Amino acid sequence: MRKLIILGVGSALVAVAALVVAGDRPGITAQEAVVRDSATAYVLAATDTAQLQGPRQPIFFRHDIHAGQYKISCQYCHYSVSVASEPGIPSLETCMTCHTVIGGASADTATRNEIAKVRTAWNEKQPVEWVRIHTLGKHAHFPHMRHIKAMGPNACATCHGDVARMPQVFKVNNVNNMGWCISCHVERNVSRDCTVCHY
Amino acid sequence: MPDERPREMDRRRFLTVLGVSGAGTAVLSGCSTDKVEKLIPYLVQSEDQVPGLPTYYASTCTECSAGCGLHVKTREGRAIKLEGNPEHPVNAGTLCARGQAGLQGLYNPGRLTSPMQRNASGGFDPIEWDAAITLLAQRVGGAGAGVAAINGYGAGTFSSLLADWVGALGGRVVRWQPFDHEPIRAAGRQVFGIDALPSHDFSRARQIVSFGADFLETWLSPIENQRGFAEAHGFRNGQMARHVFVAPRMSLTGLNADQWLGVAPGSEALVALAMANLILSERTSAPADANALRSSLSAYTPEMAAQAAGVEAEEIRRLARDFASAEPSLAVAGGIGNQHRGAVELAAAVNILNYVAGNVGVTVRFDQPIDSGDGYGAMRDLVGRMDRGEVQVALVHESNPAYALPQSAEFAAAFAKVPFKVSTAQVLDETAALCDLLLPSLHALERWDDLAARVGVTGLMQPVMEPVFPVRHTGDVLLAAAKLVGGALAGFTAPTFEAHLKAAWAARAQDNADNADNAWHDALRRGGLYGAPAGPAVSLAANAAPAAWVAPIFDGDGAYVFAPYPSSMLSDGRGANRPWLMENPDPVTKITWQSWVEVHPDTAAELDVRNGEILELTSPHGTLEAPVYIYPGIRRDTVAIPLGMGHTEYGAYATGRGVNAADLIAATDGAGFLPYSSTRVSLRKVGRYEMPATTEGTPRQLGRHIVEAMPLPLAARGLTVRQAYEEQGGAHHEYNTEREVQALDGWTDKQIEMTQFGNYANEHPKWGLAVDLSRCTGCSACITACYAENNIPVLGEEEIFKGREMTWIRIERYWEGGTDGEALEARFAPVMCQHCDNAPCEPVCPVYAAYHTPDGLNGQVYNRCVGTRYCSNNCPYKVRYFNWYAYNKTAFPEPLNLQLNPDVTVRARGVMEKCTFCVQRIRSAQHQARLEDRPLADGDVVTACAQACPSGALTFGNVKDGTSRVAIAKQDPRGYHMLEDTNVRPAVTYLAKVLHRTEA
Repeated sequence: MRKLIILGVGSALVAVAALVVAGDRPGITAQEAVVRDSATAYVLAATDTAQLQGPRQPIFFRHDIHAGQYKISCQYCHYSVSVASEPGIPSLETCMTCHTVIGGASADTATRNEIAKVRTAWNEKQPVEWVRIHTLGKHAHFPHMRHIKAMGPNACATCHGDVARMPQVFKVNNVNNMGWCISCHVERNVSRDCTVCHY
Repeated sequence: MPDERPREMDRRRFLTVLGVSGAGTAVLSGCSTDKVEKLIPYLVQSEDQVPGLPTYYASTCTECSAGCGLHVKTREGRAIKLEGNPEHPVNAGTLCARGQAGLQGLYNPGRLTSPMQRNASGGFDPIEWDAAITLLAQRVGGAGAGVAAINGYGAGTFSSLLADWVGALGGRVVRWQPFDHEPIRAAGRQVFGIDALPSHDFSRARQIVSFGADFLETWLSPIENQRGFAEAHGFRNGQMARHVFVAPRMSLTGLNADQWLGVAPGSEALVALAMANLILSERTSAPADANALRSSLSAYTPEMAAQAAGVEAEEIRRLARDFASAEPSLAVAGGIGNQHRGAVELAAAVNILNYVAGNVGVTVRFDQPIDSGDGYGAMRDLVGRMDRGEVQVALVHESNPAYALPQSAEFAAAFAKVPFKVSTAQVLDETAALCDLLLPSLHALERWDDLAARVGVTGLMQPVMEPVFPVRHTGDVLLAAAKLVGGALAGFTAPTFEAHLKAAWAARAQDNADNADNAWHDALRRGGLYGAPAGPAVSLAANAAPAAWVAPIFDGDGAYVFAPYPSSMLSDGRGANRPWLMENPDPVTKITWQSWVEVHPDTAAELDVRNGEILELTSPHGTLEAPVYIYPGIRRDTVAIPLGMGHTEYGAYATGRGVNAADLIAATDGAGFLPYSSTRVSLRKVGRYEMPATTEGTPRQLGRHIVEAMPLPLAARGLTVRQAYEEQGGAHHEYNTEREVQALDGWTDKQIEMTQFGNYANEHPKWGLAVDLSRCTGCSACITACYAENNIPVLGEEEIFKGREMTWIRIERYWEGGTDGEALEARFAPVMCQHCDNAPCEPVCPVYAAYHTPDGLNGQVYNRCVGTRYCSNNCPYKVRYFNWYAYNKTAFPEPLNLQLNPDVTVRARGVMEKCTFCVQRIRSAQHQARLEDRPLADGDVVTACAQACPSGALTFGNVKDGTSRVAIAKQDPRGYHMLEDTNVRPAVTYLAKVLHRTEA
């Protein structure tokens, strides 16, 4: 419960993957050093996570497999990103729509173990406590839907990096830095009024 | 980040409450990203919850018996604000301060979290629910006809269930609320042969005479009354109704009158009868059967009434003629503050007055009688039975007689003779503290329930969130206990109260030959069932004629009549544990967190006391001490104390504050009602002083023209405030000298030039507000709305002493007249940040935290603010408020922190804050319009204050759009800017109050 309390509304939530890379952002280069391309990404075993950037999650959820290899749309899981300020973290039920059937039989043991964790959590009615990566100051309000509306459904990578190529999500851009927001707002000549975000 | 959390909840339980992005207690100091935060998703996503978007549920308010409809705003599975249901016939989308503070009943830190049983040492031990219900079943099963219940809840499925349940055992339920308005019912019986509380249509009345009824505060259905009153009494098209208040003390309702007749306590009925007599003798159009009254009324001449009441006979004549010529008019009586031993006679006299003036069936209607309980007589009867040992098990539900009844009723002693006492109170109140078993019930927002507040209007309640604490609704407890008792209770087979309620509604739908399921869902969506049943034809009863008038008796031989009155914030005392209501200044006296005794200035001079000096009041029934508030709106021979304070239990916010005015009153001789004003008191100065926790500066305008008013004839001619002032002999006044005007012109040019650049260059709306002072009654609903919407901290008495209250919107109340024989007049004006175009706060901010936004707001950027307070020093309106301490950590003790609006930053220590015109609502409406690819429409953005206002005094919108309601309102000739001389060019326009005086 404490963990829930600390989640701030108006803050960016977990990273969302993009199918199309929009623009070259400096952070992406750093990520490529770890995983060269998405074609080889899915063979990475759960045991190899030590070398990956970003915080270790309770379940080794592979954005590179789900969003990259299988090309599942970001909004399939992050369901409210186009209508609300919050992008929405998928409920366990969403995971189980596939993972009731998909158990990773053809994959290695480590992968099967990770899927088993999802099933156990579901059976025990115990939600997974993901480690938050992108956090915005609580005095700033970031309406995700306005940005999706303006920049299209695949604009996620603009801030979150090419999540579709990340076996483990890490922070590519410091979204909690106002300069990051302003540079884009200046570039696109949209409002820089303080009370657009701060209230 | 605050790490407050409810102690009584395990994490998983809380998950179901909050969901994924929950608890956005956005706090300024929480910028650090070092801390590991967790994201915890739902197991199963609720279909009606989208993180970041509010979900509204229809429900019904239970804060008083009026039964207003609610729309409960929830975010991520928790209720964060209560608003009125626009579809509801009673409140039509608005909500009073008390109703909005219902949210603090839900999240009250004093709530009981589990059943409790009294232990040997006199304290309470928590027990399991199963054990508690078993215990209840054992005692009830053994008591049979010795079971009695006191039910403070209104009519509906629950009250029927309780009555049936207790009835099946052979016992009796007394349904009772302190303000049951028994005298009005008795008068209905007497004059019309109808035993019901009528409803009143203030909106149609052209002349309103209130004989002490505080219809804008606690009388019957306050919001409905206020809506109607604003409709009738608000200035429109050159017209407005006239309102006369006849009572020894001016309540808030009295302060909204055009004339006050401060009649002697107890003599109000004579004035009403004299008016009726005059109307009947001078008028031919009175209903035919009214002529039967002619002879019995003839004794009540204006001279006779004038002598007893202490007013001019000519005043009564004029009042009667105005009343008769205004068709329709409306007279009301029966306020608690005026409930002396002659209250039935007064209400009967007013019934007769309304009848002869032809108002019955027009403005006084019996087609939708308002629900009321069994009355004080039944309660007295029950106390007697308890005292005689005839009650073995007493069940108290949503009622607090140990507090609300006067000491002289000796409730506690009688209650102590009951061997087993059970309370279902949500908070440990005075009555619960006397009980043996506590079975805390669910708050109305957490349960399935209904409330039939009047015939034809049944409000429905649904759980808008998971219960904050693991307690159970009393309906479920009764059904569970019935299964254990069996025997007489074997007929109660419903598995849960929810099932019982749905079955009851299905049966109702079948009566209407409707599809039960559709009807249920439709009612749930709309918040209830609203019908308009036809009423009975109303005519005079055979014995309608008034009996020979006897002056009501006041016990004791003190020099002053004691008139306790219901606090407009705390009502009968149930509001005292809601910090929003305790800190919301009393609209009349502007005092918070304290009790006070109102005395007339002359009386104060006689006694040689000043504001805050302690007076000791002694009646034959008790003694208490309270600080003086010198009030020109009360008679010299009357003193008054508001009811609702002086709790000995009822949670930390209520306990030990002020005095309970009921301690001084007599419990008897009221003929079926409690005579609140029944004693005389003697006053003694005790030589101590208590600083008043007041939010008021100087009570006089001192020629500053802050709250303007103009007489009706001048307003009707379409004059501006300045023209009207000059017309009445006021000196001609240029706001600015020629040199100033030149400088201003240059300034204006420069401003226009500067708006060509950068962010300011594009097309923007310009937000503005219009405040119609002829509609504002000073009720202060807007203040609570603002607290709820904007996460404003409640600071408590100590900080108020230092003038540090944080009310972003406050109601200024200035006195006019009241000296040298001039009539006293109160002027109310809500004052919020005026969002000046030429704002003095902006240029003095060294860090640009205060600045002007392109859409005309005076922005305040909390994360920039370094707390120099220069802006506040430079603000002529005193609308900037400073966080002297970390109120974000102290002002929202668990679980009150759950009420916080996640869209608004909770300000940290050292930050200046103020009204933002609800910028979060503006942004949210802009987002929505953009998503739908449409421009913003007028009415898309409504500030919290404007949304709540029962009078419809506030209009918000884009002033650049010439067709918007606010732009049109600002064109009104009555419009003016507050402190116009300062040339700050506010975005708030006030429309001057209009005075409907007689041409004396």
